[in-house]
Parts: sequence; C-alpha cells; structure tokens
Amino acid sequence: MAQTSETPEAPEIELRGLRTVRGNFEVLREIDLSLAKGETLFIMGSAGSGKSVLVKTAAGIALPTAGEVLYRGKSFARMGEREEAAFRKSSGFVFQEAALWANQTLYDNLALPARLHRPDWGKAELDRAVRRAAELVGYDQDLYVRPVELSLGERKLIGLARAFVLDPELLFMDDPTSDLDEGSASRVIDLVAALKERGRSILVTSALSDFASRCADRIAVLRGGKLAAVGAYDEAVAWTDPALRAVTGRLKPRIRAEKPAWADSLAGAWASALAEDFVPEESNAEPWKKSEDAERPIGSLGDIINDVTDPDEEPDSGKKDEP
Amino acid sequence: MDKSRAGWLKEARASADTMVMLANLGRAVLKRFDDFMYAMGFFAQVMKESVLLFRRRQVGFHVLVMQILFTGVEALGITAAMALSIGAAINIIGSSLLSEFGQGKLMYTVLIVVIAKELGPLLTAFIVIARSGTAIATELGGMAVSHELEAYVAVGINPISYLAAPRFLGVVSSLVILYLYFNIFGLLGSFVVVQLLRPISFSEYSRNLIAALAPGDLFSGLLKSLVFGIIISVVSLYRGFDVERSSTEVPVAGIKAVGSSFMLCIFADVIMTAVQYLR
Repeated sequence: MAQTSETPEAPEIELRGLRTVRGNFEVLREIDLSLAKGETLFIMGSAGSGKSVLVKTAAGIALPTAGEVLYRGKSFARMGEREEAAFRKSSGFVFQEAALWANQTLYDNLALPARLHRPDWGKAELDRAVRRAAELVGYDQDLYVRPVELSLGERKLIGLARAFVLDPELLFMDDPTSDLDEGSASRVIDLVAALKERGRSILVTSALSDFASRCADRIAVLRGGKLAAVGAYDEAVAWTDPALRAVTGRLKPRIRAEKPAWADSLAGAWASALAEDFVPEESNAEPWKKSEDAERPIGSLGDIINDVTDPDEEPDSGKKDEP
Repeated sequence: MDKSRAGWLKEARASADTMVMLANLGRAVLKRFDDFMYAMGFFAQVMKESVLLFRRRQVGFHVLVMQILFTGVEALGITAAMALSIGAAINIIGSSLLSEFGQGKLMYTVLIVVIAKELGPLLTAFIVIARSGTAIATELGGMAVSHELEAYVAVGINPISYLAAPRFLGVVSSLVILYLYFNIFGLLGSFVVVQLLRPISFSEYSRNLIAALAPGDLFSGLLKSLVFGIIISVVSLYRGFDVERSSTEVPVAGIKAVGSSFMLCIFADVIMTAVQYLR
C-alpha cells in the first residue's frame, strides 16, 4: 500500500510492480526499482528493451498499465495539482529525441518552464537563467531561431538546457548523449558528473559504458521489459553473466585517485604493486553516499558551468584577438 | 459410422466458428464501448479545462487568439465568397420558381430559412472542418509524434488545458462569428441580384427581410453553429491526441477528423431540425 505522506527516508522515485502494455506487447513487466536521494542510477539495455518507457513512466509522463510510481513516498496517481506542480518544478526531463516545441523559438523553449513555475522572476532573471542553461550545454548560437533550423545534435543540446533552466534537484535523462558529436557528448558527461557531485538525483538511460563508468552509482539492466539485474556500480563491473556483459559492455573499475607524477618510475611500479593488494573496505559500500567534499550544499548552475568549462580554455578567448 | 462422425465434426466446427465469431463480436463491441467512454472522458476534460481556462496561470491566451485568427478571421474571405454566391443563387432560382406560382413575396422567407437556418450553420461548419479541423488534428498528431506533448507534461503543462481548451473555445466562437458573417454576406448577395432583376432600395429589402424573420430563426442558426463548433473542435482534438507514435498516423488523424466531423454535424443537424419542426 502506498504511503500517503512524504517521509524523509522515502526514495526520490520508487517504482512498484510496474507493468506497461502497448497494444498486444508487454513493454515493461514486474519492475520494482528505486532512486535514492543524491543517487545516479543508470538504466542499461539493448534497443527495444523498454528503457525509454521506463524513464518516462518514472517521470510521470507515461502511465503504467499496472503498478505505481511514487515520488518521495507519494503515488503520482494520488497527487493533487499543487503537488504535481511542485514535482515538475523540482524535476527536469531530457528526451532522447530533443522534443522541442517546433512553433516556438529556442529562447521560448527554454523560458517556458521558468515562466510557468517562476512567475516571480523578472525579465532579467529569466533571461539570465535561459542564457546560463544554454551556456551550460555549450550552445552559443542565436537563441531566437526555431528548432527546425538546428541540427539534431544542437536540438538535443537545447533539450538538455531546457531541463536545467530551473536547476532541478531530480533529473530524468533518456539517452542524453545520443545524436551528439564526441565533444558535445563529452561535455554532457562532464555536466552529469558535476550535477552528481552536487547531490542531484539522476535517472539516466544510456548504452554508453564510458558514461556509466564515469557517473553511475548503481546500474540496472533491462532485458525484454524486465529487470535482469540491479547492482551497485562496483558489483556491475564484476558481473560475469555474458548476457549482462553484452549490455554493460566495457564498464571500468573506478579510478579513485589521480595518477601521481612518480607513478611511472621504478618506485611507482613498486608502490602500485603494493596498492593492488590493498582495497579499502568502504569502497564497495553504498557508493552513492558522498564524500565530505560532496556534502556541501547543492551548487548553483553557475558553479556547474565553472566545473564543466575546460580550465585550460580562456574564458574570453573570443575577445583576445580584438585590438 | 463414418458419415455420422463427419456430421458430428462438421457440427462441432460450425459451433466453434460461431463461438469465435461471437467472441470477436463481443471484443469489438467492448472496444467500441471503451473508445466511446474514453471519448466522453476526453470531452468532459476539455469542457472542464475550457471553463477553468481563465482561472489558470498557464492560460493559453496566445493559442486562443491564434485559433480565432486562423479559424474566424482568415476564413472570412472564403465564407464571404461562398455566402455571396449562394445568396445570389437562391434569389435567382427562388424568384423564377416562386413567381411561377404567384408566391414572389415568399422569397424573403425562403432566404431566411435557407441561409439563416440551414445552409449558414452547415456550410460554415464545412468550411471550418476543411480548414481548421484537419489543421488541428494533424498539428496535434505531429506534436504527439515528435514528443512535444510529452514535453509539455514534463514541464508541468497540462496539454488539455494549454492546447485543447483554447482551440476548443477558438473554434466554437469562430464558428458563431462565421455564421453571422455568412448571414450578412448571403443576404447581401441576394440584394445584389434583386438590384439586377427588380431594383428596390436597401431599406425596403431590409424591411421585407425583417418581416420574414421569426425570432426563433436566428436563435436556431446560432444554436446549430454552437453545436457544430463543439463537435468539430472536440472530434479534431480527440483525433489529434489519439496519434501515438508513427508519422503515418498523422494524415489518418486528419482524414478521420474530417469524416467524423462531417457525419456528426449532419446527424446533429437532422436531429435539431426534426426537433424544431416535428414538435
């Protein structure tokens, strides 16, 4: 039975006995899954395994045929209008297909969520939030054009930016790196890593093992609409089932520290031989729990921009050549 | 023995076929009932959101204004052309036929009945079905395919409130306005013909028309326009929202919107006319 009031220990999102049928096809079945606060959960699976339907159902965009979805302990089905508005305000969704509103300019696409949920913002504040979100995803072109004038990759970036305008605590991302060039994909991965560091709860579907290696706290594998496995990242790395390995691919063991300068020397070889025998006990325990550094309050979009921007890049490199 | 076995098998097959046919029929009836109940639910939702439209923060005033502009204002030209020509045609045909029976004075009653009560609401409805019904169904269908409707839900905008309610109000109000246009231009077309055949002053023409106009005539036309507006907008919206995934569903939605709207408008017209004349 669903809880009817918000409880502090309740997960951000909980899926209970989820089943979705489309026509005669059972897209999802017997899904029980939860996303803890501050956790980054990756849903991996082959094409057609039901990843997109799962993330849309978790975000309350698609309705399940059976089962329920709870946000902080409260079922979507029992949410009032105000509660739903509060949920939408504090969450963002990135669509695989960008899903920009074709009859509006990019600026309006980015501004609409803020116009709806932040009527207290003045024009300047709104403008700042829109431009910050565009900057965050690395889009620096004209915002007063329609989506049809953009490439698919650029549309995808604006779709990402739209999810960040209100700086949400909870993010749903449906294959955020698909259709992006390598540079943009890498920027998006940096961005998700920065958001994760700041304690956002993130539910991502992706087929990229590099992305998961960088950001995932837990991994769930979906096969034929059913959860084949769920585990912490370090457990997922150790999965030996070939069917699971085929989906998770080349998940790499986490690199926990920067390689020191002396690592390549003889002394370094000796030190690493010693280190191989030593694995800290807490390394596998609840990896989504943040270090002390990560305990700092959730940063603003501005902080995230600073983190994602390449430190070697001159901030105003465009103006350098000016007389 | 073989004969009786064959007969038994034949009977069993026939009875199995009947069972399968009945089961299929039952499923089809249940599906129709489900679809009907869903459509009724959709209609109730659109009505509710239309009533609440002005109280909500996320009011789609812009959508409403654009819909009135497209359905009511941009259709003025074609409505006026059609009304002028039909008004003229009715006068040419009517005056030659009625004067054969010595009933030339009935021309004004015929004009009022045909233009204000019958053709006005029906023809303006057909214009709106052809222009706006298809546009609404295909536009919403396209938005569904490109996941734009889901994007509205994701940011907290109810698509019924933001997209359907303003279109509903826009189409209904535009149809009523177009009906009034149609009356004015239809009667003007007739006046032009009168000037050519038997010139009379505009004031005399107006006086004769007003004398032939019963209070219920205009009300009947307005009521029909209102009902047709509700039918066209709800059917087109429903067909548009009904599109799920494939872009091939979009033109089908447009065709279904036109077909269903035509049929329902004619059906509603027959019922309203029957109620009016047979009571």
